[in-house]
Amino acid sequence: MDIIAVHDLTVGYGNVEILRELRFSIPAREITAVVGTSGCGKSTLLKTLAGLLPPLAGKVLFRSEPVDFLSEASLGSIFRGIGVLYQDGALLNNLTLFENVALPVRMRHPDLPETVLRELVHDRLNQVGLLHGAAKYPSELSGGMRKRGALARALVTDPAVVLCDEPSSGLDPITSGRLDELLLCLRDDFGMTFVVVTHELRSIAKIADRVLIINEGRLHLSGGLAEVMGSDDPFVQTFFLRKVDHDDA
Amino acid sequence: MGGREELQKKLANEGAFLYSTGSQDSKEEPGVEEESADVVVLPRRLLAADIPAAFRKIEARREEGGATVDFGGVEEFDSTTLALLSYLRSRSSDTRIINVGEKLGRSFEVFMGGTPPAAFAGPELDLPIRVLHSFSDRFLTQMRKAEKFFILLSDEITHTASYLRERRGVYPGEIWNQVFFMGNKSFPITCLLIFLVGVTIAMTSAAQLKLYGADIYLADLIGYGMLRELVPLMLGVILAGKVGAAVAAELSTMTVLEEVDALRTMGIVPERYLMVPRLIAITITVPLLVALADCVGILGGILVGRITLGILASAFIREMFTAVDLGDFLIGLVKSVIFGWAVIVGAGFKGLTVGRSAGEVGRATTESVVLSISMIILIDCVFAVLTY
Repeated sequence: MDIIAVHDLTVGYGNVEILRELRFSIPAREITAVVGTSGCGKSTLLKTLAGLLPPLAGKVLFRSEPVDFLSEASLGSIFRGIGVLYQDGALLNNLTLFENVALPVRMRHPDLPETVLRELVHDRLNQVGLLHGAAKYPSELSGGMRKRGALARALVTDPAVVLCDEPSSGLDPITSGRLDELLLCLRDDFGMTFVVVTHELRSIAKIADRVLIINEGRLHLSGGLAEVMGSDDPFVQTFFLRKVDHDDA
Repeated sequence: MGGREELQKKLANEGAFLYSTGSQDSKEEPGVEEESADVVVLPRRLLAADIPAAFRKIEARREEGGATVDFGGVEEFDSTTLALLSYLRSRSSDTRIINVGEKLGRSFEVFMGGTPPAAFAGPELDLPIRVLHSFSDRFLTQMRKAEKFFILLSDEITHTASYLRERRGVYPGEIWNQVFFMGNKSFPITCLLIFLVGVTIAMTSAAQLKLYGADIYLADLIGYGMLRELVPLMLGVILAGKVGAAVAAELSTMTVLEEVDALRTMGIVPERYLMVPRLIAITITVPLLVALADCVGILGGILVGRITLGILASAFIREMFTAVDLGDFLIGLVKSVIFGWAVIVGAGFKGLTVGRSAGEVGRATTESVVLSISMIILIDCVFAVLTY
């Protein structure tokens, strides 16, 4: 079953089109990697899927329901169903890690007993291996810890889909590997769906079930990992095998 | 070589960039010409320091009707050479490029390959049209900003009203945090500056009043001036500089670091979560600051009256209350609260509509102070028309 589908989606800022006529779907309980060259519009795509950037044309369907970007109720269903892991974590600097993770729950359920909230937040922090850092402020955490903390915050409201914007960027291979393991565990054990924008080929090979390749604002290729990696398309070859024309010469 | 040949063909078809992979290849290119008076042959060493002379030569030739530029001899080059090549490529109507060596061509491909020539070559318009374009662009940009500002203003009124009704959507305790922050930040500087303003105005006025034997009217002047005009205006400016700048810097940093987007995707309305506590906090803080500033400003006047004119404090206060009443205090108070709202909305507008780079934070902060002070003066002017 597809949890997100987009039809002829054109996205941009003002009159400038960044993505044109995209058509794809994101199956539930899978990890879909979105790849492409820098500046091709991957993060812009995530913004639209997260409900932050209305498309210039086309439709986004979330759980088979078309998203109305002008309707508060429709966007509310997106915000309730989708969690976002930002590139630098985007934890609020004036709150401790505990309060950051608790924030979406506090705002959504202000009457929830504090003890229950505490349990929930500790559980999520434990899940990402950060229980010991609960009382620290984001500025006291390393880059990897901030990302894991942000993941805990994205997970705390039990979203159906988590959108991850370059989760491995700026991380050492060990921390990046642990984050990949965590995503796999959440997919397998909790049936969560992930859309991951990444440049990390190792990470793609390890976690992705499906791959979407965006090139020059258009969907270049999409399919299962093996299918895409095995493609003899020159751009795909260039991207995955880092083969560029002048290396041949 | 396949891709390379294809690229060469593509570029050759554009008629602008004849790519040679060696001397033997270049002889085969139909567009290659032997050195002649029409051809600008570039030197072996073409670095940044050599570009101006070469550029002048090419431009002179172009003005004469078209130039052919021979890169065949260029062996030493840098980024400016690639930029020159890119520029010439964009001027394909009157410039031909020949004999680009393999090394230079490859560097061009790597460094400039992703940059379409169109990015450099905008259509050249006549001066009046350009001026008109620029004027209309600026006007439309300002109109869009004004539209965003009024949307934010109306949103804030709605959010504040709905918060006061529902008590939801704001972090617990944040309002009192902000009251403390704003009061703490503004209190010392407000006391100092308003006292000094009181002293200055009193000294300036005392000299004139003494000439006419109207010493005691100093009390009327200071009381009236402080309560109705000087305290609200000075407090507004202090709030714009201390609180408004801090709020704009904080919100714009949050925007740049995607924290505002993160709030939105958590289902939290940033315009409510971030702005409502600040608006309510300034509404609580300003009356306290006004009361304090009124006292301090009048104290400055009393001191000067005592020292320069020998007016007793009790006489000063008695005379002052014959000229001012509660209405004057309330007008000053209402004005100050509205100035406070202008400061917070101005700072919020600049902070939440900032771009995505760190450099924008400083710009947003400065602009928020300018915007707040402009609004304060405008509102003061409206009050003057309505209340005098």
